[in-house]
Amino acid sequence: MDLVDLIEEKSFLGQDFLTWLWFKSEERGGAVLVPAIGQDIQVFFEKHMLLEYGAGEARENLVCRGLLTELKEARAGLALGKKPEQARLRLQRDEQEWSLTLKARLFELQSVRPPKTESGAEADADDPLAAEGLLLDQIGLYETAVRTIDQLFRMFLEIRCSTAWPGVGQNPGLGPQTVAGPGRYAEW
Amino acid sequence: MGLLARSASFVRYAVEGDLPENFWEFAAERIAAHSFRDIDETYDERSVGWVSVASMFDAEFSRAPYAVGDHLVMSMRIDERKVAAGILRKFCLKEEERLKTARQVPKLSRAQKGEIKENMQLMLLKKSLPAPAVYDLCWNLADNTILFFSGNQKAQESFEELFRQTFEVGVMLQVPYLVAEHLLPAEQRQALAEVEPAVFV
Repeated sequence: MDLVDLIEEKSFLGQDFLTWLWFKSEERGGAVLVPAIGQDIQVFFEKHMLLEYGAGEARENLVCRGLLTELKEARAGLALGKKPEQARLRLQRDEQEWSLTLKARLFELQSVRPPKTESGAEADADDPLAAEGLLLDQIGLYETAVRTIDQLFRMFLEIRCSTAWPGVGQNPGLGPQTVAGPGRYAEW
Repeated sequence: MGLLARSASFVRYAVEGDLPENFWEFAAERIAAHSFRDIDETYDERSVGWVSVASMFDAEFSRAPYAVGDHLVMSMRIDERKVAAGILRKFCLKEEERLKTARQVPKLSRAQKGEIKENMQLMLLKKSLPAPAVYDLCWNLADNTILFFSGNQKAQESFEELFRQTFEVGVMLQVPYLVAEHLLPAEQRQALAEVEPAVFV
């Protein structure tokens, strides 16, 4: 399968991941245990979410935006079969915080704001060693963001490719319409 | 919004193919051969090449080396002359009117109009200044992945082509399914291939 077909036919994988991650972030108030690092990281959905429904010309979009939003419209959209295509996330690990927008279709990371570093504040632009140090710091921070997303994605994939994944008609438990509590999805 | 900005946007690529053992020597030669060439003083329509991440005027990498630890970090610069469609249309109509009057004919043939358009495009391109665009990239040589700092599809296509010409290996955009293939052990890949979209209602 070439790349264009892969993007078209398998784009649901990124959307399902965002849906799962949204559920995981709400399950324990933002805390998500990541086995690969043996500790909790914090994942918060905030400010912005775009949901999609359908494909091609029949595709519908729903944008939810707001500073302290609870994403109520997005939850309602989820109940109608829409899926998150992009979301603004805040990730915290090792006392550092990243904000980023994850676009599900291409796994594009937009407007990634890495944590501030001490070297970044003090670096002397004319000192090549300091400039290289700053660059290495910056690369490390972006790669940590990517690695964290990959660790979360791996957790999702292990469930998604197993029998633990809920079948058709099982809402992931994100909306007010949910009849079952998160306990129903304990395996997630 | 590049690598050194306070915030950045990027996509991920995986490098496909084998690199030579003396990689840094190879890279030095190939990057020099494909470094950016200025077209301010020429009539070239487009120029694409590598510059240092510190400055788009540094095609010799004197201000910042591209070797940063186990990473290759540099920028792709594209300078392009463009003519706005409205301006081209105006000059074409003007020239058509001039010719009709000069030749005393009521209208011009399709071929004549085509020739006028081509000439006007060339004339206007020569008068326009090349607009620059710069896109950073960070190649992690240990795991052969690249962060390319743009979500623009045209920029990504230019990057894929320039990278292939420079290093003689291809790159593949890492969409979720391909990332999944890398992350999962071989025995789970069949299950991945069979996964269907989830329905939550």
